[in-house]
Amino acid sequence: MILVVAEQRAGVLNRATWEAVVAAQRLAQDAGGLPIRIAVLGAGDAAAQELAAAGVGDVVVLSDPALETYTPDGYVMALATAIPSLAPQFVVLPHTYQTRDFVPALAARLNRPLITDVTGLSGETFTRPMFQGKLAAEVRPTGDRPCFVTCQIGAFRADQVKRGGAASSVTTHAVTIDRSAIRQTPDAPFQEAKQSVDLTQAQRIVAVGRGIKSREQLPVAERLAKALGAELAASRPICDSGWLPMERQIGSSGQTVAPKLYVALGISGAIQHLVGMKGSRTVVAINKDADAPIFEIADYGIVGDLFEIVPALIAELEKK
Amino acid sequence: MERETLDVDVLIVGGGPAGLSAALRLAQLQEQRGGERLSIAVLEKARDAGAHMLSGALLDPSTLRELVPDFREKGAPLAAEVQHDRVYFFTQTSSLRFPIIPPPLRNHGNYIVSLNRLVRWLAEQVEGRGVDFFTGFAGQEVLIDRDRVIGVRTGDRGIDRHGARKPTFEPGVDILAKITIFCDGVRGNLTKELLRRYQLGRGRQPEQFAVGLKELWAVPSGRIEPGTIIHTMGYPLRHAEFGGGFIYAMPDGELSVGFVAGLDYKDPLFDPHMAFNRFKRHSFVRRLLEGGQMIRYGAKALPEGGWNTIPRPYVDGGLIAGDAGGFLNSMRLKGIHLAMQTGMLAAETAFEAIRAGDTSAAQLVRYQEKIDSSPVRAELYPVRNVHQAFDYGLLSGLVFAGLTVLTRGRWVEDLHGQAGHERMQTLTAYYGPASAEASAGKTRPASITSSNATEVDRRLTFDKVTNVHYSGTAHDEDQPAHLLVHTDVCSTICGQEYGHPCIRFCPANVYEILQEADGPRLQINASNCVHCKTCDIMDPYGVITWVPPEGGQGPQYNGM
Repeated sequence: MILVVAEQRAGVLNRATWEAVVAAQRLAQDAGGLPIRIAVLGAGDAAAQELAAAGVGDVVVLSDPALETYTPDGYVMALATAIPSLAPQFVVLPHTYQTRDFVPALAARLNRPLITDVTGLSGETFTRPMFQGKLAAEVRPTGDRPCFVTCQIGAFRADQVKRGGAASSVTTHAVTIDRSAIRQTPDAPFQEAKQSVDLTQAQRIVAVGRGIKSREQLPVAERLAKALGAELAASRPICDSGWLPMERQIGSSGQTVAPKLYVALGISGAIQHLVGMKGSRTVVAINKDADAPIFEIADYGIVGDLFEIVPALIAELEKK
Repeated sequence: MERETLDVDVLIVGGGPAGLSAALRLAQLQEQRGGERLSIAVLEKARDAGAHMLSGALLDPSTLRELVPDFREKGAPLAAEVQHDRVYFFTQTSSLRFPIIPPPLRNHGNYIVSLNRLVRWLAEQVEGRGVDFFTGFAGQEVLIDRDRVIGVRTGDRGIDRHGARKPTFEPGVDILAKITIFCDGVRGNLTKELLRRYQLGRGRQPEQFAVGLKELWAVPSGRIEPGTIIHTMGYPLRHAEFGGGFIYAMPDGELSVGFVAGLDYKDPLFDPHMAFNRFKRHSFVRRLLEGGQMIRYGAKALPEGGWNTIPRPYVDGGLIAGDAGGFLNSMRLKGIHLAMQTGMLAAETAFEAIRAGDTSAAQLVRYQEKIDSSPVRAELYPVRNVHQAFDYGLLSGLVFAGLTVLTRGRWVEDLHGQAGHERMQTLTAYYGPASAEASAGKTRPASITSSNATEVDRRLTFDKVTNVHYSGTAHDEDQPAHLLVHTDVCSTICGQEYGHPCIRFCPANVYEILQEADGPRLQINASNCVHCKTCDIMDPYGVITWVPPEGGQGPQYNGM
């Protein structure tokens, strides 16, 4: 039997779990059709149901109040008790931050082999990167089973899951956890310094360069961005001066974007900037200098003073 | 703060030709002579071996043959054996071929190489021979205990631009060694510390430098025969300026095109990058390049001063080798073999000292003795005055070089040089008091910068920012600037006195002067830096200090 350990938080399944399922199905097939089971830890009913509905294998819920929020000690204890009685040949997990957090301790606790960050497999030979991806090593587990295998994110494709004809069963497997032995007390999850903007997803971008001259002039560009429903971005000097946050910087030392519309205001088009936006579908450039390299890649170019042209554009856009 | 420490027998700082030759020689000595295994570590600030290596380059293979006798069988990447030597004198509109090649510029038996590739290959030779090669780690400071060098501290990682720790913060590691061999290259930041602390330059002449700019070009093959090397003198430099151009033809239409300018020019408005562009626009060079493509760019300073400027290369617990110590023959335009040779001699000295259980300066003076009885001195001593003679102009320099060849350098009295940055004159001194009325930043009619002969066409000639892109340099923007500048002179006297020379001598557009309401302000685009060290050398006030940025960052000189 091959056991997949699902990753979920409050019933929401981490999509990387499906990639682990694909890896497990491959492994099962190469081993002549081993059955697959999926372990869900904690109160993850919705996740368990979603997995069962796919019909890839029976779902086992390891339930204990101590597992409701993730702690490495809790997960190690639960799986270290459950795995010997379930007796799988392999335990497959997605190579997520959470997995990296607890699985080394789990493998060490059970004294079983662990193969991490696997990118491919053939029979019982696993491929994994070494030396920061410079080499790919093929490794084969020795020693007692199960062997723990973590799958690199994206190495197996979630859409290749072979779904079963009927839904699988969901059973509960009781585990007893000594709460006092859990050394971590997690705080509520929070997102650190949430990025307010993801330029790579923006459909339209208005980018400003040195031609804007001073911080006080930025509202001109902001108003154009608002009129176009666009995100505001900038070339390096603007962000370097702190006029806009670094996360809005486009170019080789910032973001690479490919929006449908890219409006470059007062950007000369140094190659360092161009490499960050040349994939844009339509580029509109406004610059005083007719020789500015930005015009070489612009679809529409206006040679002129942006402080005259932009207000006219805004007025025109606001008419509609 | 708790720092990790690592104890080794020999620490080599810098994985260039000197450092890797030292490492390889130590490994060989270990294999030949046995005994207790030495632990050897090499620190290299580039992410991969060779990534910060830039040179012309012509290799005199003598040292390579000594270090790796079967270098051919081992596939040393020598691009082409030199077949044809040519030397030209340029005027603005013509080129005059020297009828005979001056002996120091004869390159029969030498090779055109990519130093980047050669060093990568050297790193492979060191691999698997008990040497720990730490790439991506820069030496930040020398660790000294009661006047004795005891190792090097590597740079912290994960510091933001305001100096605060980022979530990825990792403190640097203290690497403690019985002997540290400093091979941190021309104007190495650690060697600079040693020079100051131990006054290693006392009794020596001031160091002299030049800056070399280079592009790699792909041109239609058949234009110039592989193995051809061309050196030029004259235009675009003026009589008083030291330097010249080079073109080395490699197979498959690959050309190494570069320009070297002495960092001892007097004109504060001189711009080496502009001189390079002018060189490329000269009809002779243009003919070779036109229709081709520039594929890589880089710049690097080189030590030009010669024998009399070499500092004392040993201290308690430390040795200095390669460009860091100024071991370069500026008359032959070659330093790689001397870097390798001094690296090997440093390794031999270190090995013997550790076996003898004495790594004090009293024992390490053996290094100086080895140098004195080696080909290094034999090659450098006779030409010790040649660079200094160029202080008197190109003609004097050439005549002197000729006399040196004839007399093998037997002179009664040595010529004295002056530190290059001290030779830079103020605008008033150079252009006369009349132009002192012109305000800072404006170009002057007589100056080299004012000519419209060098506009940038983005095919043959490029602006600095575009060139920088082709150096592949990359730095995390969110880290402290690695160029420490006392900026008060920038906004006060520098504009008046020198017209902000940093914006010109930097070949990578790191320095920009923004004219703001309250006066000029220096903007430091540290992420453009190609680690050439020119600013640390040439700034006339001595207020710029180059320190390494976070390890693993900087140029990517593939094929350079």
